[in-house]
Amino acid sequence: MSEILLEKIDDFRWRIPKSYKPGMRVPGIIYADEKLLKDIRQDKALEQVANVAFLPGIVNASLAMPDIHWGYGFPIGGVAATDIEEGGVVSPGGVGFDINCGVRILKTNLEYKDIKDKIRDLVYTLFSDVPSGVGSKGDIKVGTKEEKEILIKGAKWAVGKGYGTEDDLDCTEENGAIAGADPDVVSERAYERGKAQSGTLGSGNHFLEIQVIDQVYDRQVCDTLNLNLGQITVMIHSGSRGLGYQVCEDYSRNMVHCLTKYNINVPDRQLACAPVNSSEGKAYLGAMKCAANYAWANRQCLMHLTRKVFEKVLGSSWQELGLFLIYDVAHNIAKIEKYNINGKEKKLCVHRKGATRAFGPGNPELPDRYKKIGQPVIIPGDMGRNSYLLVGTQKATDETFGSCCHGAGRVKSRTAALRSINPDTLLKELESQGIIVKASGRATIVEEAPEAYKNVNDVVSVVHNAGIAKRVCRMRPLGVIKG
Amino acid sequence: MLKNYEVFDHTADIGIRVKGKTLEELFKNSGLAIFEISTRKQFTKNKKHTQIIIKQKADSLKDLFINWLNELLSLSYAKGLIFHAIKIIKLENNSLEASCTASDILNYKVNTEIKAATYHQLKLEETKDGWLAEVILDV
Repeated sequence: MSEILLEKIDDFRWRIPKSYKPGMRVPGIIYADEKLLKDIRQDKALEQVANVAFLPGIVNASLAMPDIHWGYGFPIGGVAATDIEEGGVVSPGGVGFDINCGVRILKTNLEYKDIKDKIRDLVYTLFSDVPSGVGSKGDIKVGTKEEKEILIKGAKWAVGKGYGTEDDLDCTEENGAIAGADPDVVSERAYERGKAQSGTLGSGNHFLEIQVIDQVYDRQVCDTLNLNLGQITVMIHSGSRGLGYQVCEDYSRNMVHCLTKYNINVPDRQLACAPVNSSEGKAYLGAMKCAANYAWANRQCLMHLTRKVFEKVLGSSWQELGLFLIYDVAHNIAKIEKYNINGKEKKLCVHRKGATRAFGPGNPELPDRYKKIGQPVIIPGDMGRNSYLLVGTQKATDETFGSCCHGAGRVKSRTAALRSINPDTLLKELESQGIIVKASGRATIVEEAPEAYKNVNDVVSVVHNAGIAKRVCRMRPLGVIKG
Repeated sequence: MLKNYEVFDHTADIGIRVKGKTLEELFKNSGLAIFEISTRKQFTKNKKHTQIIIKQKADSLKDLFINWLNELLSLSYAKGLIFHAIKIIKLENNSLEASCTASDILNYKVNTEIKAATYHQLKLEETKDGWLAEVILDV
């Protein structure tokens, strides 16, 4: 339980003053309403927001989104930007082990009535044809040379192999491949862990979900995106698998030494970091980008497999079914971006640890098709409630380094969920609500139970009302595959 | 027999509290605990046992502890093995040598993928009964 005294800025923002802890370089700012704040206070996440404020070169504030919860080092739902020219650092802990864990959403031209008798078939076929679970291996086999190619080309590699189209790349953050990936700074062990995992979902909170749009908020944006009430969407949540975990581990280990070398004082060793411009910082970013590209390739392969399953079960081509990608976003990543800070343009290293990029209309990074409406922001909820599609705003650029929340955020530990929830009862309850769930393990179902999460509707309401993203439409789950 | 470890609550991840009469035992028990909490032996698809010698060096005992656990996890997923027996051969001056026995991951039902052991709120201390460690694992 956290007793930190927070200063209210407005109904949706709270400040941890710089004076809270000696060593904080900036204040902490938490996006939340009074209701969510009660949950946030239950664990040590606020303390972690204050700890992140120690990072050298941090600009404006250590930010936390309304889905914030206790992580290791950084809170999950944390955003921190450091000024590269002012000795700003990059921290592997500010990205996390699952580098470029992220989510993509596809639309279809199907309506609920078209597939309501086929949802079980779709779920079971997705479960059998899309490899999931711990250490799962995919059918997409690559040698070491080709693995290096994936680390540079990301989703472009997958499209080159026939697993998608150029259009998919246009609808992916960084076009599915961030520049500056350096395969030579990725360890042999990381290659070994990543081998044979392309096109695999992984485990834990990673999922593949068939959904239906049950609420439209912004008619105009929905028209631009060709979305309607009752329309079926598909969401895919996965990351860089073992390769990303190993990159984070290798560099966290290495950067512990940097704390002494660069005389950096942070209150948690998991915040180990190095200046972005140091050899260690550059090497980490080169390796992190490799893992990020691997994750984009992975989600592209997962989408390809998903399209194949829809073709198999529904008997039409994916193009005829209208299974087109709306967007793909990373929510565990560090990016070099430019922002106006006190009237000066600054190059910042923006850490998003469980936070989504949310660029507003007109941002040059966005593809032409989204320049007018802003970047699609995808917020998955838990498997029993809702998920959301939003768009980024200029206010996010001004206030949160173009960032927004990434999900509902956990509120109950996995162990507490395992103690209190019966998997059979839960599955029956979900089925009575019209949600079919298939998972590799019963423990996963319990750990991912809706009551283990905050209500995503509350979380999204805060980011919408705070103006850092704008609600477009809401989906509810029909079929869920958990790793 | 009483377990020499217990699991404690952490919102997003899993914490384990491990005991050992000696430091060597603590390292051994912690290494085995990470596989015990995440896997269950279910099949005998492959009878072969693999023995691996792990050598680690670090600047401090805490670093050595984290490196040790992460090396076990990393090897486990890279090689497709689950470690079920550990013998600490040498543990002194922040360096470690251990003989670790594993069998094929296919013999196990893996319930949770532990990504890594973290430094966050890491505890490693001598108590009146021996040694105690608390570590948060990213899952």
